[in-house]
Amino acid sequence: MSSPATVAGPALEPPAAATRRPRTARMPWARYVAGKLAAAVVSFAVTLVIGFVLFNMMPSDPVRTMTRGRPVSQAELVRLRVQLGLDKPVWQRFLDFVNDTLHGRLGYSWEYQRSVASLTMSRIGPTLLLMGTSFVISVLLGLWLGQRSGWRAGSLFDRITSSTALTLWSVPTFWLGMILLMVCSVGIGPIHGFLPAGGMSDPSLPQSGLRHYVDVARHLVLPALTMILVVYAQYVTIMRSSIIEEIGSPYLLTARAKGLTDDNVRRRHAVPNALLPSVTMIFMHLGTLISGAVTVEAVFSWPGLGDLTYEALKIPDLPLLQGTFIVFSASVILMNLLADLAYRFLDPRVRAQ
Amino acid sequence: MVLRQRPRLLAAPAAAAACALLLLGPAGLATSAAAATPSSTSGKTLRVAMDSSGVDTLNPFTAYFNGSYDIFGAIYPTLTVIGQDGRPNPYLATSWSMSSDHLTWTFKIRKGLKWSDGQPLTAADAAWTLNLIMTNEVAGTANGTLVSNFSSVTAPDPTTLVIRTKQPQSNLTYISTPVYSIPIVPEHIWKSHVADLKNYKNDSFPVVGYGPWQLTGYKTDQYATLDANKSFVLGAPKYDHLIEQLYKNSDSAVAALRSGQLDYIEGVNATEYSSLKHASGVTTTQSAGNGWTGLELNPGAKTRSGKSIGTGNPALTDPTLRRAIALSIDKQTLVTKVIDGYGSVGQGYLPPAWPEWVWKPSAGEEQTYDPAKANQLLDQAGYKRGANGIRINPKNGKPLALRLGIHSDDSYDAAISPYVAGWLKAIGVKVEIDPMSMTALNSDLGKGDWDMLMDAWTNGPDPTYMLGIQSCTTLPDDQGNGGNTDAFFCNPAYEKLLSQQQTQFVPAQRAKTVDQMEKILYDADVDLMFYNKTMLTATSSKVTGMNTGTPDAKDVYPAQSSFWSYLKATPKAGDSGSSSSNVGLWVGIAAAVVVVGAGVTVVRRRSGADDRE
Amino acid sequence: MSAAQVLSSQEVAAAVPARFAGVRRFARAFRHRPSGVAGLAVLLLFSLLALVAPLFIGQDQLDVTKVDGPLLSAPSGHYPLGTDQAGRNVLLLLIWGSRESLRIGIIATALTVVIGAGIGIVAGHYGGWVGRALMHVTDWFIALPSLPLAISLAAVLGQGETSITIAIAATSWTATARLVRAQTLAVEARPFVERARALGAGDWQIMVRQVLPNVTPLILVSSTLTVAGALLSEATLTFLGLGNPASITWGEMLNNAFFNGAFTADAWWYLLPPGLAILVVVLGFTLTGRAVEHVLDPRTEDRS
Repeated sequence: MSSPATVAGPALEPPAAATRRPRTARMPWARYVAGKLAAAVVSFAVTLVIGFVLFNMMPSDPVRTMTRGRPVSQAELVRLRVQLGLDKPVWQRFLDFVNDTLHGRLGYSWEYQRSVASLTMSRIGPTLLLMGTSFVISVLLGLWLGQRSGWRAGSLFDRITSSTALTLWSVPTFWLGMILLMVCSVGIGPIHGFLPAGGMSDPSLPQSGLRHYVDVARHLVLPALTMILVVYAQYVTIMRSSIIEEIGSPYLLTARAKGLTDDNVRRRHAVPNALLPSVTMIFMHLGTLISGAVTVEAVFSWPGLGDLTYEALKIPDLPLLQGTFIVFSASVILMNLLADLAYRFLDPRVRAQ
Repeated sequence: MVLRQRPRLLAAPAAAAACALLLLGPAGLATSAAAATPSSTSGKTLRVAMDSSGVDTLNPFTAYFNGSYDIFGAIYPTLTVIGQDGRPNPYLATSWSMSSDHLTWTFKIRKGLKWSDGQPLTAADAAWTLNLIMTNEVAGTANGTLVSNFSSVTAPDPTTLVIRTKQPQSNLTYISTPVYSIPIVPEHIWKSHVADLKNYKNDSFPVVGYGPWQLTGYKTDQYATLDANKSFVLGAPKYDHLIEQLYKNSDSAVAALRSGQLDYIEGVNATEYSSLKHASGVTTTQSAGNGWTGLELNPGAKTRSGKSIGTGNPALTDPTLRRAIALSIDKQTLVTKVIDGYGSVGQGYLPPAWPEWVWKPSAGEEQTYDPAKANQLLDQAGYKRGANGIRINPKNGKPLALRLGIHSDDSYDAAISPYVAGWLKAIGVKVEIDPMSMTALNSDLGKGDWDMLMDAWTNGPDPTYMLGIQSCTTLPDDQGNGGNTDAFFCNPAYEKLLSQQQTQFVPAQRAKTVDQMEKILYDADVDLMFYNKTMLTATSSKVTGMNTGTPDAKDVYPAQSSFWSYLKATPKAGDSGSSSSNVGLWVGIAAAVVVVGAGVTVVRRRSGADDRE
Repeated sequence: MSAAQVLSSQEVAAAVPARFAGVRRFARAFRHRPSGVAGLAVLLLFSLLALVAPLFIGQDQLDVTKVDGPLLSAPSGHYPLGTDQAGRNVLLLLIWGSRESLRIGIIATALTVVIGAGIGIVAGHYGGWVGRALMHVTDWFIALPSLPLAISLAAVLGQGETSITIAIAATSWTATARLVRAQTLAVEARPFVERARALGAGDWQIMVRQVLPNVTPLILVSSTLTVAGALLSEATLTFLGLGNPASITWGEMLNNAFFNGAFTADAWWYLLPPGLAILVVVLGFTLTGRAVEHVLDPRTEDRS
């Protein structure tokens, strides 16, 4: 587990001057940003190398797979291999790959015969919608339940909340999705399916306007619900332990001494103070959300990046798999970077300077 | 660890990021929605499940996937169309004739047809399309082999198309049919895209074409929307709109069918079919299957020049062992258990969908399930059983252990392979099941690095290509490159017949030659046919007429084609099309409210946090 | 929720008391945590089932060519959990599946612990550029989203249990490495390590003799939670089609159910049990792990 304070690592920060104040507070803003940026760039570079090494280790002949079932001549197969660069030596492919990636090209999909960059771009919207919705709702739900049960740790409410969260966390995401699909969409016993079984919109409806948005929302219900149920648990746990950490703090005693009600002490003092550490942790766990997206999108045919990964996996379409891997990693690196910068920017002691 | 030491700060970053995500969501939604043109929704809509392969590209010159060809069949014309008899019938061409030297074909093209943008559709369009495929490397990507024997294609006048071939070509009337082969595209549209053909996506909607339907929108990996061409020359579609929707999982498609969101699925699996048979509101039908599932045995992989390559087990070069394996497999059980009886035991190499080419072994030549005989054959050939029951190869003293490569993404392969392993164990052959991705499996196949591979093919009405992949000419060169052989089969007698059938223009004569080729394949035990499964379809009871032809004694229809099914589909009287259920609508609204509510809460939280500081 | 996250607030772990007294005290304290006891009981039950399964399940009952049950039929007296598409008894498959699933989970965890603890101890012990470099590598791996990485690894290594096991280990060692490094730093600051150093103990000796025994309890706790995660990952990767379709694991059963029409057939008896089994075992590992963690370090034992 990383935290903003450790992601960059010591090597990228200046040697610590003898000072009682936190290092971050002394470092000029620009330098801090540069450090974090450099770290992110290095991370990304490593991701690229790992990605390339991974996807070029495997012997694979995509050409016959791609053309399966069509009467394709041998000459055409040879031409395709050349077109995909499969005839080049590895080092040359690596140079091409680095060059391509730096120019925003992520290779050429075997399956779709389209540039991976354009494929992934077209899938980002749905993924953001699904992940954004699930993220917001699960964070709110998790934080609210977490602070409640942390404040009254050991109460019936706490025990129910915690054990529910723990149970849901132990459920395989895709299985929960399958069960929801079976009950709400296929229908089981007396229940008739009442939600769409997959996809993002009903093509027989107009693809714009209010009706369309409602339609998309209907399609969003099951995948989002699945993700929320699995993900919110960890937010509960995080917030609960943060609140418990706060409970013993002297400032809460002071607040109580001022005569504030218990509720007010919690809402005005304990919760705000517990929020930041929790929120930081939550951002560090964005990777879980991405993992969830892959399986949930696969189960519900949600046309996002996860689904694309799943499609690529079947062949496997290595350039596409490599592309989604890079996009996922880049987004996590980017989110961590943003969290770092926001953290610094919002640190009151820094702002005070 | 860090919690305790970290300074207490604002809650704002989370809230801000959350808001950003919330705003980005609908934005992303808007961009993705922009791709499809809203089509008019008045009239009746037929909603079908897209072929599960999906659409790789809408460019008919570079597309490989069946889902793409279903669409091309609907929106682009072809010279001929495969009729219910499985033979080419008139479409753009009303008649055709061949010169006495079998080298020049003259097609009479219909008069007065117009592309959907009003431009005339003439023989010149067909000539242009075929010439482009012949001369342009990119245009030949998917269908180049079909025209590789052409020497020239001309259109002397708008109603005449003349094709000259280098050698006689018996399958010439099959080279441009809906769904299976070359679609004709409008020259006036495509002329300007020749330079950038490789990257041209053909996605300016509505797509200019001619056919029973016109493509009005397409969303990658989701659906395609089409409108009917009410003046279509072979009869107007009965529906006004057609939607092809892609389902990744056939169960989802079935769920959609049952809840009224879908009208037709071609290719449900056996389990689904069995349970749908009794479902209300659903009609199920079987039609003749156009493919086979089987097992390839590596007969000793060789290159074109005869050099041995690969790591195939040398024991399999012995025809006795291959025959013993063939006899040890209980194909009927596979039909009964793996495909729930929806199919027939595989024998001939070409599938039942095209009765013209179907071959069956005569009574005495059938290879039936007979493990005792298999054991006897092996005993006689000197394969003695070792201590653990595994036989020893007398030639090298090694136990008979064979790898069985299966496609890891194919559930039939996974279901069949344990049976094969069980049956081979009974004749003293050890099997190691090796699931591989498609690309890895094909890589091993081409290099000869395999013993046994599960295999499945489907093919169109013309057998040329399927017969071709068993030819010696498809073997790889000495470096292991360039091959597209199916199983390293190479037989001189077969080779002779292969070129012979290419020059036979009387269908019955050609069929006779093809029968002989199928017999050679059957006796060689290189491609063991397990079964031909029937095509299982499920149709909403609100639609009729989707199946053409009359069912046989086993209630199996002749092979169906999406071209005819969609064209003939008729709404049942009184059906107003379908609407989504109200419960779902309300759930959708509720979901929207929750999202908005969550957003509002976040915003309020944030302002609260600011106050505090 | 990774192991590290649950353990995060006890970076400075409890001292390890003298062996036997410690074990007894541990057992006594553990008994007072009913959820932990329940979790442990579940684990013991499943382990027992997995171990004795070969005594009452013969290959004939799992071999599709030998079984003769009805295809995909609902539970009945003879088949308490119904049958699968090949007519095999789902209950027996479920029990047999526990062997494979648990084996993958445990081997993956062992690998995770070896890699994670190795890197953690080395990084903590050497500090300097070695430690920094190792922690950099760890950070990079943390930044990679684990499921896409595992998917890519498994896709590249080829289908089957081995590659799934490696993929799981390769994506989950980072949490252990960080924990162990922190603990190593704490241990090395203690006087007895300095004493050993003064007496001429080499790096290797200090790491193996002094540090390792002191980080072991922490490793144990974190590994129970890693097993839980590994089981979930195994199921997910198998479900995505990276497993060996010929083997019997819970993930493989779900994959079969999902892609072969079990929904349409309303075959709940085929869909529910493997998922519930995963749920129960993962919960068992998690509960046990948390209980052990709380017992070792009562400070995490808030006020509940």
